[in-house]
Amino acid sequence: MKKTNHLPLFSSYEFDPKFYDELFDKDNELRSIYKTLFDIFGTFSVDEFNRLNKQAKDSFFNLGITFQVYGEKEVKEQIFPFDLFPRIINNKEWSTIEKGVLQRSKALNHFLWDIYHDQKIIKQGIVPLDLINSSVNFLPEMKGLNPPGNIYNHISGTDLIKHSDGKYYVLEDNIRCPSGVSYVVGNRNAVKHALFGVFNQYNTHTVVDYGSKLLETMESVKPQGVDAPVCVIITPGVYNSAYYEHSFLAKEMGIVLVEGRDLFVENGFVYMRTIYGPEKVDVIYRRVDDLFIDPLVFRKDSLLGVPGLFSVYQKGNVTLVNAPGTGVADDKAVYTYMPEIIKYYLDEDPILSNVQTYHCSREKEMSFVLENIDKLVIKPVDESGGYGISIGNKLTKAEIEVVKKTIKAEPRKYIAQPIMSLSTHPTYIDDQESFESRHVDLRTFTLLGKDDNDFVLKGGLSRVALKKGNLVVNSSQGGGSKDTWVLKK
Amino acid sequence: MLARVANNLFWMGRYIERTEHLARFLNVNYFSSLDAPDELSQSRQFVLRSIMYMTANDITEADITLDEEEVLYNVGLNLEKPYSIINSFINTHENARCARDLISTELFENINRINHTIKAYSVDSFVKSGLYDFTTLVTKSSSEIRSKIQSTLLHDEVYAIIMLGVNLERAIQVARIINTKVSDVSAAKAKEGDSTVSNYQWTTLLKCVSTYDMMRRYYKKAPSRKNTLEFVILNDRCPRSIKSSLNQIYKYISIISKNKDIPTDSAAFLISKMKSEFEYKLIEDIEVDLEEFTADLIKKLVLIAEKIEDNYFNISDAVKKQPETQKQKQTQKQSKK
Repeated sequence: MKKTNHLPLFSSYEFDPKFYDELFDKDNELRSIYKTLFDIFGTFSVDEFNRLNKQAKDSFFNLGITFQVYGEKEVKEQIFPFDLFPRIINNKEWSTIEKGVLQRSKALNHFLWDIYHDQKIIKQGIVPLDLINSSVNFLPEMKGLNPPGNIYNHISGTDLIKHSDGKYYVLEDNIRCPSGVSYVVGNRNAVKHALFGVFNQYNTHTVVDYGSKLLETMESVKPQGVDAPVCVIITPGVYNSAYYEHSFLAKEMGIVLVEGRDLFVENGFVYMRTIYGPEKVDVIYRRVDDLFIDPLVFRKDSLLGVPGLFSVYQKGNVTLVNAPGTGVADDKAVYTYMPEIIKYYLDEDPILSNVQTYHCSREKEMSFVLENIDKLVIKPVDESGGYGISIGNKLTKAEIEVVKKTIKAEPRKYIAQPIMSLSTHPTYIDDQESFESRHVDLRTFTLLGKDDNDFVLKGGLSRVALKKGNLVVNSSQGGGSKDTWVLKK
Repeated sequence: MLARVANNLFWMGRYIERTEHLARFLNVNYFSSLDAPDELSQSRQFVLRSIMYMTANDITEADITLDEEEVLYNVGLNLEKPYSIINSFINTHENARCARDLISTELFENINRINHTIKAYSVDSFVKSGLYDFTTLVTKSSSEIRSKIQSTLLHDEVYAIIMLGVNLERAIQVARIINTKVSDVSAAKAKEGDSTVSNYQWTTLLKCVSTYDMMRRYYKKAPSRKNTLEFVILNDRCPRSIKSSLNQIYKYISIISKNKDIPTDSAAFLISKMKSEFEYKLIEDIEVDLEEFTADLIKKLVLIAEKIEDNYFNISDAVKKQPETQKQKQTQKQSKK
């Protein structure tokens, strides 16, 4: 551990030189990009900072940027933990990230088209057939369908980490309607209110344009023959943990937020029930999972979807954003083939690196995994939200045996990666009344529209693992987040 | 606008207004009774019964002794009682949450902040010393919310539906208050037989509707049965009179129905008809049988509310199921979090 000697908010800031610390270099020198920010934070007394911190949290609470925790008797509202110390990314670094995530999103889109049409990439032996056949997220109903503009993953969220070598690596691609963008805007507002003076010193890209870009993207993929498309967002409802985000996006775009029960299908079109009767809907940004969107085709017990919706989609009379069946491509097993996929469709080398990944479906790699569990992270390929992850060096001997058994039972279901060194960033710890180093990752948001109408949000969600030493940053696992500044120069 | 969300907005408006009336009724009745001129009006049991009648529509049996702290708790902060002020506000909030994409950030923040405050209010201090503070906080909050509705929303159908709810509920609550106070006056008169008793009760009625000062200014006389009732029922310049509320209801239903041809069994028709009847009503007509008049008034207003729901918020049967199943389904794990 390296201790830094700064007063008063950083009095107990120390970092492990094994990781890349975003604030201090290996010689304990403050990185120049943070100098001004650090000096400003240095002028706060602990009391002053506590006050600002409380005000920021109160404003999230009052604005209802919260999620619900269901107790035995009552429902409690909680804010997502949020940290006021922003993460800064310089322009050069960002331009690599931006190109890199766009490249991946486009390659994944080509991949999806191919998988649901000729499957050339499989026929040519670049990725194994088994990868698709065994994926629970492959939807045979999507075969041969041509979504407007040939876009499948209109919205992608790419998770990146900064490794100890100072380089960004892609941890995973999320193309099943990733969430988090409302917090990017919420965090930015909170930092603006608390630290307004700082913005004079840093020339930072805005993040408020996401809503209008998303609407442009949705409108660009309108069904054929529609002039001014009616766009809506479909949410599972107010009890869904991401409801705040759904209502935020509807509001940012000025479009209607619907639930499944507000929509119905008649004569091959989708309508919503308004106070004046039915109104046709053309583009649906759905925040309901594939299997729940239409009980006539997928899960019959779904109350969240719209009976007949998929048949309208098949006819091309409504566009779904993202397309159903995208999950097959953000599978963690497909991830390992990303360099090949990028090369195959775009004839480019990947701009962002993958983390070395071992497939348990390959015998040789599985035996390596089984022998080295203590040095690896084991992940199920089709889970999300940080569920089902085992971090080797945190497991007891008995637990390792259990993991071995589970892998052997279903090798296709698991991949393993070296335990990555997520970079660390100062995060205010209330109990200590001081900043401490915590691991962070970065989720970026990419939009793909018709005719290369692309957009990468210049900013993102830096997710923080709040528990000391913890590497899992997902909000469902108790992670927090911080504002992310992309500098113009 | 979605029919389902219109329903939420309508009920949001109704609950905002209901919360305010419950809180003010509790406040005015309780505190004015403390130094009431006659023994009956000062009697705790009499006041508590009046409060239960108005808030919970509950006629307490003669042989039951009500417990003051329990009544105050039930009406104020008891989450188990559907008629409590806290539940009424929670319903305001829940309905606002369902229409969050349509209302302004400022309005939602206001409702949300008040919701946190009310939910966190200490039960102990409420029944012991916080009655005044709590009820005042609630009435103030309601006007804050109404001001946000008025000043931050687009004055379109969304606004019209909220205001329709507000004004319809206002008419219903004022009618219920009149009903309760008229029955208090009869009881007091039967026992005390003194005209100062009824003057006191009429003053309380005016204060419950928050029009006492203006009534004095208008008539320059002490409140009597006739002038009080005329003021709160028929004066169209008194913003909380039944007639004013009906005029507002008419104004907002006309925006929503877009003045198209209205069928005879529609809400818009019933409202127009009722409004026209009130144009030519005299207090003398009403006074003949006041009890029947208020009972009939409440019945008609409730029917109008039902018609509004039928005409504009009618969604398929699927909606009428649940909410439990829906709640459970909505919380199932969604993909990327």
